[in-house]
Amino acid sequence: MAERKPKIVGFCCERHGMDAAVLSARSGKQTDASVRLVQVPCTGRVDGIHLLKAFEDGADAVFVLGCLEKNCYYDTGSIEGRKRVNYVKQMLTEVGIENERLEMFNAASTNAWAYPEIVSKMVQVAKKLGPIGGGEKQ
Amino acid sequence: MKAKIQVVLCKCCTEVPALLDIEKLRKLASESNNVLSVRTADAMCDGKELAAVVDEAKAKEIDRAVVLACHKKDISPGLLKAYKRARVNEFLVDVVNIREEVVLTHVNEPERAQAKAEAKLKAALARSVLLSPLEKQTEEMKTKNVVIVGAGVSGQAAAHEAAKAGAHTVLLEKTGKSLKVPGVILTHAQLLGASGYGGNFQLRIKAGEKIEELGAAAVVIATGGGWTTLKAPLAKAVKDALPLYKFYEQMQTGVAPRGPVVIVDTPDPSGKTMKVQDYAWDDSLETAIDLKKKSPDIQVYVVFQEMRASGLSELAYKQAADMGVKFVRYDKSGMPKVDPKNPTVLSVRDFAQGEILNLKFGTLVFASIPPNQDNKVIADALRIPMSVDGGIRRGSIQRWPVSTPKPGIFVCGSALFPKSRAVAKEEGAAAGAMAGEFVRRGVIDYGGVVAQVTQEKCSACLTCIRTCPYEAPFIGTASKAEIKIQACQGCGMCVGICPSKAIELHNHTDDQIMEESRVLLGGDF
Amino acid sequence: MIVAKRKPLGEIVEMTAPYKKVTVIGCRSCVAICLAGGEKEVKMLVSALKVRNKKEGRKQDLEGLVVERQCEKEWVKEVEDKILGSDLVLSMACSLGAQTIGDMYPERLCFPALNTGMFGVPEEQGVWSEKCVGCGNCVIHTTGGICPIARCAKSMLNGPCGGSANRKCEVNLEVDCAWAAIYDRLKLQNRLDLIEKVTPAKDWSTSHSGGRRVYVREDAKLTPHQKKGKEAVQ
Repeated sequence: MAERKPKIVGFCCERHGMDAAVLSARSGKQTDASVRLVQVPCTGRVDGIHLLKAFEDGADAVFVLGCLEKNCYYDTGSIEGRKRVNYVKQMLTEVGIENERLEMFNAASTNAWAYPEIVSKMVQVAKKLGPIGGGEKQ
Repeated sequence: MKAKIQVVLCKCCTEVPALLDIEKLRKLASESNNVLSVRTADAMCDGKELAAVVDEAKAKEIDRAVVLACHKKDISPGLLKAYKRARVNEFLVDVVNIREEVVLTHVNEPERAQAKAEAKLKAALARSVLLSPLEKQTEEMKTKNVVIVGAGVSGQAAAHEAAKAGAHTVLLEKTGKSLKVPGVILTHAQLLGASGYGGNFQLRIKAGEKIEELGAAAVVIATGGGWTTLKAPLAKAVKDALPLYKFYEQMQTGVAPRGPVVIVDTPDPSGKTMKVQDYAWDDSLETAIDLKKKSPDIQVYVVFQEMRASGLSELAYKQAADMGVKFVRYDKSGMPKVDPKNPTVLSVRDFAQGEILNLKFGTLVFASIPPNQDNKVIADALRIPMSVDGGIRRGSIQRWPVSTPKPGIFVCGSALFPKSRAVAKEEGAAAGAMAGEFVRRGVIDYGGVVAQVTQEKCSACLTCIRTCPYEAPFIGTASKAEIKIQACQGCGMCVGICPSKAIELHNHTDDQIMEESRVLLGGDF
Repeated sequence: MIVAKRKPLGEIVEMTAPYKKVTVIGCRSCVAICLAGGEKEVKMLVSALKVRNKKEGRKQDLEGLVVERQCEKEWVKEVEDKILGSDLVLSMACSLGAQTIGDMYPERLCFPALNTGMFGVPEEQGVWSEKCVGCGNCVIHTTGGICPIARCAKSMLNGPCGGSANRKCEVNLEVDCAWAAIYDRLKLQNRLDLIEKVTPAKDWSTSHSGGRRVYVREDAKLTPHQKKGKEAVQ
């Protein structure tokens, strides 16, 4: 029986976030297949309910990747994204769930190293903490 | 209306089949609900296969497409044009990134990659059936006006370029100086306020004593640097010290400056109130050389922390030295000082010799430019963000170097951050060209992926209005929020923050986002 | 408006744990505006509880919905099915809403998910500060428009007290002395003579200390005939 691989969802903005992921792929960088990317127009679109629902649906870890705050395509989008993530992190702590499972990242579209580092960090968290509600840790 | 989906599997030449089983994907697609057509292609980006894909789309009366290929931005333009011929709404064509998200990055895990590609296909299909066709609209630009705030080096360059593109340029110049630039020139003029959106702004300006309303299609901010607001220690000590640009201007009028001339890099050597600005070198060298040419007998000192002439300006450094310009380098341990009681001598420790030099000067010139105090006024009037250094912020350093985040408002020159005259001129030309092109369109394209309020759910909490950087939401006649679609950029910030979930972003609704996430998590890989 | 704050989730988890079917009911009015109990917060709370249950391996039926204004019987009546169909209603409205549900369905359980705090104004987006305590006899026309009952820690009518220093309150150095603000305001309005007038001791009977208050508009009350057929307003 195959052991359960980590399940990670990444909400990526259509601008710098996605561009950073694409650039790292085109630079030949390999990343763990555990990450499922969901593209959003801007990380400011991300709602706390999306993040919590991802955990409900089986995610072990969730991240949000947006533009650098001083260079957001939509001005204050990634600042908003970070606020949403912080609020849900607080909620996770209050219900007794490790809040490292949820993280916000910012990257520039020209940075080919950012995305693999993000994946690696979240995979580490997912493997260390395992699925919510038990199941196999790795 | 039942969705009628066409799935296209692009092989990205040989890349995709090298890792994935295309046949399995094809089978999965054709067995899925709502899928009426499945095609494989060698290279969608090539364009040659689009015709056949679109012909089948037309024949099967497809209304939406899911294209498994590479990065959406790279193939969308051609794809959407082609699908238009098959009358497929452009907002119902989804591109799924198999190449960068699966094939290129999971080379060593073919089984997981396959399962992931299949999950991505399923998620895209689940999302596709939830989408709605969206229509874009156009609104005529009421004027061809490009209003340029500031008629300095960059403003004038902007005016020339914008006029070339057929725009009517209106320059608002704060001083009374005379100018020769295309368009209407308003002297003793300033921008007081603005409303509207890119393509149709209503500006409030003050020209002399009169306050007027002026329509504009685009605005270019070229307010330049804060020539008159040097505050730091050296500037305070020497009341008649000049910014470099002012000094240069005076030289052009033929008046010989009072020598010796000492050009210091910054009025604040400690860097507490102002950072040293890199560009200052090029202009200083040019000025020093010009000065020596005009008045060979005047002693010229250039006092700097870092001597970094860029590119060919290196040659100017040598030329200046050959002409007798003296270069004095200092560091933080021996910063230039002037005794306010005797503001005719600059003492500084020459880094090379280690000795304190007391340079008697007739004219003290500062090479750096503080940000313009007017920037805040303009930023408030147009409601655009400022940068941390007191300049106007760009939309994006890479993509929009001379634009602000608000469509239709451009910025150039030292209003962005201090720079040399030559660069400011180029930026002005760029901003003018952008503004001209914008205005030449004649219409504003809006709609599509925009926000919409369901008024019955709105609590009129004003959160969306306070959050949006583009002033798209407003309280309408029903005392509920409404979105001014022409201003909406489709970012969805208001949607994510609305406490009553009264706003949705077309084709990026909560259901669509969460369904995609759910199906992806259901994949076993 | 009424400003409330969500209870810590740990408290809510404990409160709701024993119940098999929990319905969270929010409100589109005050608590939506102060970002405590609108549809978004309701959905997030339900989701957070579900994630918690996933962690504990607990089975619990959780659902969320919103009504327009939870302190109005008609609107609560619209979701009667949901109320009667659950073991516990968790109200994400202010206490008025929670109590309305409780009063309408006394044999059902309705718990508050929020702590109802104050009458507050949004000083800026995300910051609400208390400006009124509902004393029932407003005197701000004599204090330059600034309420001494709400904003002075001692609710003084003839302040400032001896502890006021550098325009700050001795109770909490981060709070401005209300009477310093009142002085400045009256000075601005050229009405400093009011500061010198001695206000007699307050009659607190109009405030909550006089007991629960009921305001009646006789001209608005419905006659028995008018009430016929309108169940919710009986």
